[in-house]
Amino acid sequence: MTSQRYTSLYQSIEAALEDHSKSDLLRGCMKRGRDTRAAALEELPGGVAFRGDVRAAKERCIEALPELKQRFIDNARKRGTIVYEARDGADAIAYCLNLARHRGARVIAKSKSLTTEEIDLNQPLIKAGIDVVETDLGELIIQLAGEKPFHLVFPSIHKMAPEVAEIFSRTTGQAVADDIPSIMKVVRTYLRPIFLKAEIGLTGANVGIAETGGICIETNEGNARLVSSLGSCHICLIGMEKIVETIEDALLMVLAHPVSASGQLPTNYVTWMHGRSPLGEGAAAEERESHIIILDNGRTAMRGDADMREALYCIRCGACMNICPTYGVVGGHTFGYIYPGPMGICWTAGVHGLERAGDFAQLCISCGLCKEICPAKINMPHMIAEIKHRDAAANGHLLVNRVMMGADRAARLGSATAPLANAVLASKPLRALLEKTIGLAAERTLPPFVASTFMRRFAKRPKPTFELIRNVVFFVDVYANYNNPDLGLAAVDALERLGCKVIVPNQEVSGYPYIAYGGMDQARRIARRNSSKLAPWVRRGYDVVAIEPTAAYALAVSYPVLTRGSEEARLLSEHTFELFEYLNRLEDETGQSPDPELLTGRRLGFHCACHQRPLGGGRGAVDWLRRRGAAVELIETGTCCGMGGTFGLKGGLLGYDLSQAVGQPLFDLFSASGVDAIVTESSVCSIQLAEGTAMRVYHPLELLNLV
Amino acid sequence: MAFDFASRFEKLSGIVHRVGSEAAAAATIAQICQTSQAGCIALAGLSSTLVALIKEACEQTCPELSILTEPYAAADLPLAIDRADIGVTGISFAIAQSGTMVEVADNDALRLVSSLPRIHIGLLRAEDIIEHYHDSAGRIRATIADHPENLVLSFISGPSRTGDIELKLTLGVHGPEEAHCVIIDAAA
Ligand code: SF4
Ligand code: SF4
Repeated sequence: MTSQRYTSLYQSIEAALEDHSKSDLLRGCMKRGRDTRAAALEELPGGVAFRGDVRAAKERCIEALPELKQRFIDNARKRGTIVYEARDGADAIAYCLNLARHRGARVIAKSKSLTTEEIDLNQPLIKAGIDVVETDLGELIIQLAGEKPFHLVFPSIHKMAPEVAEIFSRTTGQAVADDIPSIMKVVRTYLRPIFLKAEIGLTGANVGIAETGGICIETNEGNARLVSSLGSCHICLIGMEKIVETIEDALLMVLAHPVSASGQLPTNYVTWMHGRSPLGEGAAAEERESHIIILDNGRTAMRGDADMREALYCIRCGACMNICPTYGVVGGHTFGYIYPGPMGICWTAGVHGLERAGDFAQLCISCGLCKEICPAKINMPHMIAEIKHRDAAANGHLLVNRVMMGADRAARLGSATAPLANAVLASKPLRALLEKTIGLAAERTLPPFVASTFMRRFAKRPKPTFELIRNVVFFVDVYANYNNPDLGLAAVDALERLGCKVIVPNQEVSGYPYIAYGGMDQARRIARRNSSKLAPWVRRGYDVVAIEPTAAYALAVSYPVLTRGSEEARLLSEHTFELFEYLNRLEDETGQSPDPELLTGRRLGFHCACHQRPLGGGRGAVDWLRRRGAAVELIETGTCCGMGGTFGLKGGLLGYDLSQAVGQPLFDLFSASGVDAIVTESSVCSIQLAEGTAMRVYHPLELLNLV
Repeated sequence: MAFDFASRFEKLSGIVHRVGSEAAAAATIAQICQTSQAGCIALAGLSSTLVALIKEACEQTCPELSILTEPYAAADLPLAIDRADIGVTGISFAIAQSGTMVEVADNDALRLVSSLPRIHIGLLRAEDIIEHYHDSAGRIRATIADHPENLVLSFISGPSRTGDIELKLTLGVHGPEEAHCVIIDAAA
């Protein structure tokens, strides 16, 4: 596959990098979303535990979907609702057009509905001469401006008050002052007659309840209340995955959605509609109709696809786009088709086709953060890897991605030819050539290779004697083996001093780059091989300790999914530990506390690698440093440093340039923090931070001169 | 519990009034009509006793006020209710943890009374406050079972709000910009 396919993607990235006014607004909005969510979770009994409940409910309901859908339909019909099952967008559109014609509708008032956007319902209605008016303020602004939403929850976040005032001046033909209260008054007076005269109200629904045949619609503005109560006909378009079993399930979704989106519990208005209420008394009161269109549009196929099924757990909260590092720079117009952000890649593949998803899936740097914030714990990183994989099967891999996937082989070669390879890496003209030919960013200072690898040195070292407490398999991965064996050996020493028998049995690299770029055949092969090589040791009582955060993540989180829950991978996952969490535990158990003054006087800023978040969140290393007297501050923007594993090693827009734009806010935080050095466990984050801040960056072990 | 509900509802920019009797509730409503210089008020979902009390209180404090009451003729809707500055509706129950009033309607005239006017006042009895959000399932289930056909339950947690322009919280874009809850609590 050539990179021509990505020409327009490159252009949009370039535009976003040149003018960051929009992305500054967007990032402010994303941060607000994350902060308010975090604040709400403080108040919510059980905190993040609700994610487990949402996940379990969604698993159950999607498993039983065909039956629940039927029960929903039966119960809704009993209450007088007219239910239609639409195969796809065209089918749903035809139904709406017919209905509008039949009822002689001239005005349709809409409340925000992503599902109607999914099938682009507005256009055909407008073509049929019907006035379709969005009533959600953000959507209305976007509609009047003739644009597409920039953010799922705040569609018009990129428009400031003066621009909005201008849009309404143009629309209403009267001058509108550019303060928000004045704009609100104009909006209210502009929309009120539309609400009052609309013959049809069109909404989506957040939940369908099988038990009762009712739907729940959430809004903050109250527009859905008006849209659903004013006209003589209400149409609700609902994706079939929104159907849950019970009222308890519905209550859970109605809470999880706004908590994750904006830290509310719940939204201001939640309308639980059943049947179609009469309006007032007298003959006309009873003439009202209520229609529910249940949309398939690819969902049945998603449900039957083991790697895509989880997308159906999505409750459209937008939290994943509040944390996605690259989305924050380029925004939803670039990082999305109709559905934006991380879930946008998965849903675009499901409902708009693999090809469309493949057009922007390369923006995902596989940091994994979306999964960690998602209320349904949807494994988007895996799904996106699978999408890249399927897309590559049809269109081929980008050359530079093939190069990055082969990084372990390159490292082996680099170490075998160390003096030469290092001379190449250090030569400016050759690096320029390398960028041109294979896409490796010339700007990067890369760690040199060593001729004598960790594996070789470990095998040669004298066997230590000590009192044995535990058996440990040390998992090395690429960097400690080919670039920094001293670091690997220091880790082994630290383990041994605390009474571990450390072995380094035959093992492969972690293989994460294959996941990141969608080389799923190879990723699966490596996952199976490492699982079957290491699981027998676990059965014999060994724990597995990994020094590289991404390797720990691969073993603990990715392998069980890649092997479809194999027993061996599960065992390995359960017994995989990060180095420092393990060392701390040993210190506690043996009572061998370290010298509490070793690092006194040091002020350190800790950077948590994204892949550590679902593991210990970096607490192990931070604790370990604090036990030695260092003052450690966790410095974070709440998202990624931009390196994204090897993403930032690639040259150009879809690599180095974007990675710098993602990292800049974090570089600024570190520079302003007053710490005397940065500490991180990740070998790649460390390159990014050293270059971005010009500060010293250490691995925790390096601080004790242990390396 | 009334306290928990009140503090949560107020956090969401709602306004709470705690009164000891239905008559006091009616007086409070009349008071709100007066301060907000309302010309027209619409009532729905209230007992006939309450309607009578509110009429009586309003006649004393604001004699000019026109008072709309059920039944609403279908032919006049929705325009009739759009005239009202204030809508008063009965609240079936409330959830303290989330500051939510739950309104139960089997006729949309009631929904219009709480959603079209600039000010909405919900009338709630203290004994109808449930503490925990998730404990509302039973009450919701019973209500839905009581209505085998149409029924709309509305969760209302404060006034209509948006953050769509510059993320700045703004009230009353479509629905009420003031949301009051009058709690009748014999212990108050
Ligand atoms: S894995 Fe990271 S980069 Fe990829 S979609 Fe999720 S948050 Fe975005
Ligand atoms: S994928 Fe998860 S986080 Fe993203 S919108 Fe859906 S439910 Fe929310």
